[in-house]
Amino acid sequence: MPTPRSLRRQNPITFVLAGILCIGFFIFFFSSNDASPASAGKGSGHTASSALSPPSLPFRKSKSNGPPTAPPVEHYYMNNVTQSRDPVGNREKVLILTPLARFYQEYWDNLIKIDYPHELISLGYIIPKTKEGNAAFAALQAQVKKIQSGSKAKRFASVTILRQDTENPLQSQVEAERHKMENQKARRAAMAKARNSLLFTTLGPSTSWVLWLDADIIEFPPTLIQDLASYDAPIIAPNCFQRYYNEEKKSKDIRPYDFNNWIDSPTAQELAAKMGKDDILLEGYAEMPTYRSLMAYLYDQSADPGTKIKLDGVGGATLLVKADVHRDGAMFPPFSFYHLIETEGFAKMARRLHWDSYGLPNYLVYHYNE
Amino acid sequence: MHRHAFSNGHAAYPSVGGGSTFSIQPHKFQPRSQPALRRRRQLIQRLLLIGSIFCTALFFFFPNLRPNLGAGPLSYLGAGEDTQLETVRYYDLSNVQGTARGWEREERILLCAPLRDAANHLDMFFGHLKNLTYPHNLIDLAFLVGDSKDNTLAKLNEKLEDLQAHPDPKQTFGEISILEKDFGQKVNQDVESRHGFAAQAGRRKSMAQARNWLLSAALRPTHSWVYWRDVDVETAPFTILEDLMRHNKDVIVPNVWRPLPDWLGGEQPYDLNSWQESETALALADTLDEDAVIVEGYAEYATWRPHLAYLRDPYGDPDMEMEIDGVGGVSILAKAKVFRQGVHFPAFSFEKHAETEGFGKMAKRMKFSVVGLPHYTVWHLYEPSVDDIRHMEEMEKERQQKEAEEKAKKAKEDKIRNQFDAKNKDWEKEKAEVQDMQKNEEKEAERKRQKEKEEQEDKAKAQAQAKKDEANREDTKEAANQARGFVKPDEIHEVHGSDDKVKPAPRQPQHPEAA
Repeated sequence: MPTPRSLRRQNPITFVLAGILCIGFFIFFFSSNDASPASAGKGSGHTASSALSPPSLPFRKSKSNGPPTAPPVEHYYMNNVTQSRDPVGNREKVLILTPLARFYQEYWDNLIKIDYPHELISLGYIIPKTKEGNAAFAALQAQVKKIQSGSKAKRFASVTILRQDTENPLQSQVEAERHKMENQKARRAAMAKARNSLLFTTLGPSTSWVLWLDADIIEFPPTLIQDLASYDAPIIAPNCFQRYYNEEKKSKDIRPYDFNNWIDSPTAQELAAKMGKDDILLEGYAEMPTYRSLMAYLYDQSADPGTKIKLDGVGGATLLVKADVHRDGAMFPPFSFYHLIETEGFAKMARRLHWDSYGLPNYLVYHYNE
Repeated sequence: MHRHAFSNGHAAYPSVGGGSTFSIQPHKFQPRSQPALRRRRQLIQRLLLIGSIFCTALFFFFPNLRPNLGAGPLSYLGAGEDTQLETVRYYDLSNVQGTARGWEREERILLCAPLRDAANHLDMFFGHLKNLTYPHNLIDLAFLVGDSKDNTLAKLNEKLEDLQAHPDPKQTFGEISILEKDFGQKVNQDVESRHGFAAQAGRRKSMAQARNWLLSAALRPTHSWVYWRDVDVETAPFTILEDLMRHNKDVIVPNVWRPLPDWLGGEQPYDLNSWQESETALALADTLDEDAVIVEGYAEYATWRPHLAYLRDPYGDPDMEMEIDGVGGVSILAKAKVFRQGVHFPAFSFEKHAETEGFGKMAKRMKFSVVGLPHYTVWHLYEPSVDDIRHMEEMEKERQQKEAEEKAKKAKEDKIRNQFDAKNKDWEKEKAEVQDMQKNEEKEAERKRQKEKEEQEDKAKAQAQAKKDEANREDTKEAANQARGFVKPDEIHEVHGSDDKVKPAPRQPQHPEAA
């Protein structure tokens, strides 16, 4: 029996159903295309079998019910881990490590703009167990939760957040207090321990690059990783500057900030030779003139932005390191190593292991202005 | 669809105000007024169609413009696990400091073993693993296999699969990682080339590199302890993890000896890399080049350090501790925080030491406690050295020679006896002759034996003398020739070896009666 004509002609339900179907189709079509960057057929090694291993990969939550099964035997082919001039093309994994004492929203906003496939990036944070650290942790956690439950393309492969076990000798993170010379050694030793703890617990077998990024770096070109990797240097540091308001010129201006990137000088070596075993050389203090060539002062706006120079000491503000350098044992000495400590000592230790450090004087990243 | 309507002549829209209010025309069909939406349905439909085609095309070609619609419905079916993927991990490092009673607090141990051409030792090693009394599920295993020419990898994999397939969940281990990395070594792994002095510095540095790679890839924020164990340990207490842990030290090592065949004295100190620093060694270190590495157990570097190995008393208190500065790598238990804070196996000359000795030095430098247990012993496998093998061959030859001699003598006697029985006069004569001949021969043999014996005695004397020299050097520490020039060890060799630190042992006197 044919349907009455009026029903067939005018029933809005037909259109509603058609509409729903249509929308359903679109959702289905597009979202299934977008699905799972992590498991989209790149073979094994894209998810960790347990929450434990390796820390640089996403993992599956264990089902609490049911008997626990024995963890499988995992093979890692470290011969295949490359560090090339074309990190995106070779799908090289990057570990971005940040010792976090204070959370700056600008840091985070800048970080998530990074133009490197997010599914190849793992983040690692270490936060001191202080009141300030708790606040930073809460802020970080909120942001991490937001991005990791948001768009798939923006999600990072994994985020590891550690709470520091070593005591921070300085309660105050105020800049003036922090930079006092007598506080420097203890402060930087604690910093070095935090960096090492973060590094050695998050460095997985598949990581190709480690990008050290301080929590107060708030601006860098989005292609930072590609730009730095293209030099194929074991350790490479851009120049760290700070934006400020120049009272004299009455305009916005930039000034050098990080003085730990330097080329050694005979004066500094003489100074070191006279020092006790546990004393350290510090940069940027008038009481201790070292006459080293500081990369911060080598910035030349008109020069070739790609200039590369060889360094003897590096700072940790922004530093791209081949994971093999760390795997060979180059760490941040929390003691006086050739009268150097932390990141500067790291450059020296890497040199002892036959890895050289380089700097880009005309490639700028910007530090937060307090 | 109904464009043909209104055949009655009426316009599609009711005329407003036309006709009288009271005029009703029931016989005529008056279409209802239609809302504008429905009237322009066609237009809207077309617009929607074009719009959706446009959007589809746009999204198709420019995936970045797509709105985020969440995980696709397909992902719940096909790639269903994807939604359960977790990406955020949170750890508090103050929970994994390591305490004296780790097994009660469920502290995880990372057991690391670097392997190379070790297939022959794996059976023994896995036997030890199964026997460990520390809860197995708290032990994570990590192996680095590199530059192996035998079937180490295949055998290891098979052994581990067996281990994890154990029906009792208490017998299975935690996370297991096999890291494959070839460093491209250039030195042979046989005992002789491995322990030559010239090869030591380079070998130790490359060994350190392998250890660092293994540790940096396997250490997790969940580990409280790290245990380094060589695969060629022959005998060790099952409770070794708990025994070492109980001391609650940052770095702790047992004493390592090895059993020897009886003719070499039965047993011998093996790992000479656990020592206390001496003034002589510090002074020596100052004279050396920046890249030089002091290696223990070689005459080239006389350090006069007290070695953990030589302080062993078989009946001593196994809990006795001794502060040390250099550690040997056969069996090290360290708190994970030591490694987290950056102590590693220097693959360069750190305070004139590399690898495990440098590790001990660096741990000390960072104010961690480093102790050895002189009376708590694990036994390393005895692998005969080339000298030992040569000597054993000699012994075997001598034994065979003696046997052959005896056989010949017996045969002759038999022959003589047979000849006696013949009772032939001619033969009597011949017998006398034969006996003469035999006498002569025996005399000859006697003389020969005499000579051999003398030689043997000379040799024994010479060896006893050598031993005495050795003893003088090691025990009284007086007779050594301090003036000897220090040989600069080779600079960086690109060599990589598996761990084994046999040091040439003082030659044991050879028992003359054994010959």
